[in-house]
Formats: sequence, C-alpha cells, structure tokens
Amino acid sequence: MNADLHHLSGAYAVDALDDAERAAFEQHLAGCSDCRAEVAELSAAAHSLGALTEATPPPSLRASVLSGISQVRPLPPLPADAGAPVTAVPSPGASGPVTPESDAAAPDDVVVPLRRRSRVSTWLAAAAAAAVIAVGGAVWSPWSDDAGTLSPVDQVAAAADAMSVTSTKGQLNAEVAYSRQLGQAAITVAGLPPAPEGKTYQLWFVGADEIARSAGLLTPSEDGRGSMLLDGDPNSAAAVGLTLEPAGGSPAPTTDPLVVLALA
Amino acid sequence: MMGDMTASFPGASAPGEEAASLAATAVSAATASGRATASGQVLADLLRRCSRGDEAAFAELYDATSRRLFGLVLRIVRDHAMSEEVTQEVYLDVWRTSARFDPSRGSALSWLMTIAHRTAVDRVRSSESSRRRDDTHAATHQDVDFDTTAEAAQASLEAQRVRRALATLTDAQRAAVELAYLGGYTHTEVARLLDLPLGTAKTRIRDGLIRLRDTLGVPA
Repeated sequence: MNADLHHLSGAYAVDALDDAERAAFEQHLAGCSDCRAEVAELSAAAHSLGALTEATPPPSLRASVLSGISQVRPLPPLPADAGAPVTAVPSPGASGPVTPESDAAAPDDVVVPLRRRSRVSTWLAAAAAAAVIAVGGAVWSPWSDDAGTLSPVDQVAAAADAMSVTSTKGQLNAEVAYSRQLGQAAITVAGLPPAPEGKTYQLWFVGADEIARSAGLLTPSEDGRGSMLLDGDPNSAAAVGLTLEPAGGSPAPTTDPLVVLALA
Repeated sequence: MMGDMTASFPGASAPGEEAASLAATAVSAATASGRATASGQVLADLLRRCSRGDEAAFAELYDATSRRLFGLVLRIVRDHAMSEEVTQEVYLDVWRTSARFDPSRGSALSWLMTIAHRTAVDRVRSSESSRRRDDTHAATHQDVDFDTTAEAAQASLEAQRVRRALATLTDAQRAAVELAYLGGYTHTEVARLLDLPLGTAKTRIRDGLIRLRDTLGVPA
C-alpha cells in the first residue's frame, strides 16, 4: 500500500480532504482492503461525536421529509457486479482484458467495455470538433476567479508539457488540462447546473480502443463550477467525456455525453 | 464515492414479517426513552424495509435518528433554515439509496451519519461565503472549547462516555478532530487554524480518531 495515501484515512473518514485528494484516496481505497477497514472503524469513532451534538428538529421538518419521500422511488439494489470492476487490465497497453475473477487483487485501473461501441465512435467524432491548445506551463481560465489557490487544473497545467482543450456548449464551459509526462489530467467546468435528484455527473476517459473508463464523479458547486483531477492516466485515452448518470455513478456510460474533449 | 456508500447489497435474504415488527417495537422503545439511537440491527432492518418502499419503516427510521442527524448537520451548517434543507436532502438520499446500504461495511447509523456529514460538509464548502471565512476565528474558539456544546447531551450516558473518551486525546489531537468533524474544515484549513505545518493536521486527525476508536471500542 501507499504509505502517504494510507495516512489520509483519518482525514477521509471526517470528510477533511479536498475534492482532488478525496478522488485520489477513493481510487486507492478501491484497491486497499486495509484502508477500507480502517476508514470504517475511524468513521464509526468519529460519528460517536454525534452523541454530543444532538438537536431536536422542528416537527415541520418531519412532515416535509415524509411527504417528500412519498414522491420518490427507492433505487433498486445494484447488480452484484456493479460495484466491482467489470473488466480490468493490469496496465495501459496490456493486450487483453483480465477476467473479472482476477480482480480480487483489486486493480487500480478499472475499465469497462462499452456495450454500444457506436456511441463511443460518436463521442470521438464530437470530440474532434474541440480545439486543442498547447499551453506549456500556464492555463488561464477566464471563468476561474480564484487566483489565490492553485486549482487541480492549474497544478496539472504547470507541467512543462501541459496541454489544454476547451469546449463550450451553450452555458457549459469545459476545459481539460493534461500532462503526458505527469500522466495526469484535470477538468474545470463552469455553467454546469447541479445534477437532478438521483443523478450525478460522471467523467470518462475514452480510449482509442473504444473503451470508456470511469474517471470519477463530478459535483459542481451551486454556482455551476467544478474542478477536479481525473482518476486515471490520460496517456491511454483519446478523449474525455462527461455524462449524467444515476447517483453513485455507472460502470459504463448510460447517456449521451454532455461534452467530449479530444486529447491530442 | 462509488465504492463507498453505493456498494452493492450482498444478496441478503429478506427478513420475515416477524423480525420487522420486532424491529418496530424496539425502535418505539428506543424513541420513547428519548435516545436517538436504536440498536444497529433495528436500523438495518428498517433500512431494508425502506428499500422496498415501506414509508412507515422510514418514519420510524426518521424518529429514531433525526435528533442525531439534524444535530450534526446543524452543528456543521449552523444556519437553521439551511440545516433543515440539508437534513431533508439527507433523508431523501437515505430513502432513495437504502437498498445500497451494505451491513458488511459498517453499521446502519454509521452509514446514515456518513451521508449526513458528507452532505453537510459539501454544502458549507460549496456555499462557502466570505461570511464563514471571516467567522473562522470565532468558530475555532467555539469548536475547540468543547464545553460549549449541546447542553442536552449532558444527560445522555452515551455522551458522557464519548466525552470521557475525548478527554484521553491530546489537546492537539482533540482540536484537530473537532475542527475537522464538527467544524467541517479540510485538513489544510485545520492546519492553518491551529498553526500547524501543512500535512501534520491529517496525522493528528488520524491519531486522534485511532485513540477515540480504541477507547470507545466502537465496532465499525
């Protein structure tokens, strides 16, 4: 296990990681049963502090909660294999998929072949329209007004070989910055409304092999902005896509992409 | 997120009606005695019934846990109206995703509190206004001084147990854990608030939680 990441278990258990750290740690968690067990224990310990902050909610809240749920259908259980990788490859460039049974060793790299390959072709065609700009060291995002802190995009963009690709669709602005040397990519969005109830935004790396790999879940802030490091290595990807998926994310895209950005 | 709260339900068989009504009785008793928490099994059974659309089970779940969840949300969010909004969002989420509670990954209460904590923290961070930032100094002092919290909790035996366990932490560990968990601050912010070198706050938080865990002997 990675000792540095392992030490994030406590901060993760109390939601004290920022979005990029959280995404990185969750990727680590998927493959580290020690950390999963520790997080469960430390979460339970932290939640015991809840005994010190009890407060009685107003009766009106009970009424509105109960009337609220009566209009919402509970989600079905996930299929047995949905929470686990469907197919895994040990490293980028491996020649063939590994059988699901072998993922007991919990790979870092989770890939899911798209059942409808035509959809990915569509993605890549759409992506070709997006402009790629070599930025070599600095990215200026016109919609980023937080100059005081280095966003994940800025961190990646600080790499000497940084590239950036942007796309605008109506209100939605998306920028992916990536570094082949660092093997990292980050996305910044603006004008992305909060996902509807029961939905989440999910990012995908789409390989030239027409395989979509989940690159993490994106939750924009209330003002429609979001920024995060993508899970995975852009070196094995031809494009990055963003879709709306059921809460918790999907093993493969289930809707047409809101935006697709081709990586040069 | 994907691997956490939305884990697949491991094909457990449904409990019989008998078990369900037993659960209801136990929760009523727990509620009547004024305790916020019912036994883990009771809550897990209620969640399972929720996943099948049982609104009565959900009402029982709400009654058994709302003081605990609302109190935590209020502590983090502070604004009363927004806390109600967040609590409603949390319970809606609980109802919607109840089939995805996985008892092999932790207790039902821990699952509920995880959703409540995450939602509250996400809310304060996304709607983070200059107001709260300006307020940071005052917040620090409130949070670090544990004696100012929840008067009502004093009465609870469980609260006393938790207080005693907290007292076994070093001052530095306790301050870091409280700012992170009850204040909703990131470890980077905690480091700044406590004048710690960057990177040490996460270690303090973890060490503090480990001590808390070992003292309380809490099962995951």
